[in-house]
Amino acid sequence: MSSRRPHKTVLQTIPMRTITTRVTPAVLVLLAVTLMVFHRADMLPVETMRLAMTDKMAPVMAAVSRPFVALTDSFDGVATLRQLRAENIRLREENAKLQQWYESALKFQAENQSFRDLLNVKADASLHYVTTRVVSDPGGSFVKSVLLPVGLEDGVAKGNAVMSGHGLIGRVTEAGTRSSRVLLVSDLNSHIPVIVQNTRTKAILAGKNMDLLKLERLPIDSGLSVGQRIVTSGDGGQLPPDIPLGTIVEVSKDGIFVKPLADISKVTYVQVINADADQSLSTGEISSPQSNMPPKRK
Amino acid sequence: MAFRSNDGWQESAFGALGRAFATFLVIFLLLVLSIFPFKIGHVGEIRPSFILMAIYYWAIMRPSTLPPLGAFSVGIAFDLMAGFPLGLNAMTLVVAQWVTRTQRKFLLGQPFAVIWMGLMLVALGSGLLQWALYSLFIWDFELSSIRAMLMSVVMTAAIFPLIVLPLSAFNKSMAERD
Repeated sequence: MSSRRPHKTVLQTIPMRTITTRVTPAVLVLLAVTLMVFHRADMLPVETMRLAMTDKMAPVMAAVSRPFVALTDSFDGVATLRQLRAENIRLREENAKLQQWYESALKFQAENQSFRDLLNVKADASLHYVTTRVVSDPGGSFVKSVLLPVGLEDGVAKGNAVMSGHGLIGRVTEAGTRSSRVLLVSDLNSHIPVIVQNTRTKAILAGKNMDLLKLERLPIDSGLSVGQRIVTSGDGGQLPPDIPLGTIVEVSKDGIFVKPLADISKVTYVQVINADADQSLSTGEISSPQSNMPPKRK
Repeated sequence: MAFRSNDGWQESAFGALGRAFATFLVIFLLLVLSIFPFKIGHVGEIRPSFILMAIYYWAIMRPSTLPPLGAFSVGIAFDLMAGFPLGLNAMTLVVAQWVTRTQRKFLLGQPFAVIWMGLMLVALGSGLLQWALYSLFIWDFELSSIRAMLMSVVMTAAIFPLIVLPLSAFNKSMAERD
């Protein structure tokens, strides 16, 4: 029919349905590519958009997940009497050991304080903890991050360290009013300055999107071995120093690999560590014994 | 019934609104399922692509349920919620829907096993596209991510028959309303 009516334009001869089924996806793909390029070039307020959405979704996710958490807790709590007895014996032994460590820690703390007083050493910034539950975990193949239902209102800020009971699991990369996103240490974008605890060797701990983390930028002949503990170095001022991270489990030609102390894939409750900024460091003020008092929170 | 006899346009408007709302609810549930923190055993470490399953199924069985712009919007919402680069899931979902629609005529008359196989191929293609785009975005071509992606494809294929049941029931209820 269209060939008999030459006055029609090319566009008019194409059925509307073809336009919607072929042209629309092509336009949307182009739009998606443009968005990715703009995001990469930091030309879009993606963080603001994300936080606007997560601030609204975090309370919803927290409410939705409540019955599932109860179910998970009861699932984890199921144990036989024999298992409970064995666990009880193990905990008693551990408690006895920890009691000894506690006494030693108190002694060292008192000794440390007396040395600090003698030398008038400026104490590290005081730490505040916010404990909360993970409300969203996409569990994706590429991005390793979790969402927490706490934000600026609760004293959580961008850059804060996030721990599970055993060690560091990530840091806050986006903080909204009522929600915050944590980039896990296993994510490809995660690069944390660390030191080997006993040798004080500096390195970068990089996420590789798998269970183990890789130590990079080590000095030549660093002489590291399996079993050595890795802690944060505090370099760059992003994370507090000496937060435990993991232990070396593999030294091979492929590299040195660290197993995190926390089982990152099963983390349910976390602690966000907020280190108050040390004002005297930026102003160059000389510390006095009074200024070692922890600053008040706003 | 009153709408039908006197106000046909109102009924169709309310019907369209109801269908759109029902589709939104299903998508919202799948989004929540995609980002929910499962912590039972090893469940949750690698997640199947729930949204891809729905988009694939609707692209074959009922394309009017979710137009390309709908798939794009769902992808953007997922990108924002899950912390992906903006546009990554939007693009892969639109491409997956597009490819599936081009094969719709072939897939419609096929037994479930063939449709299932088709999903595996679409999921694999989407996963590879996502890996390539994400690697380009962060400029780090880590092969361990491919392993995780393949596991996700296997999980997507394994769970598909379970997701098809509620999606099929949803389609039937929508068809009855038509």
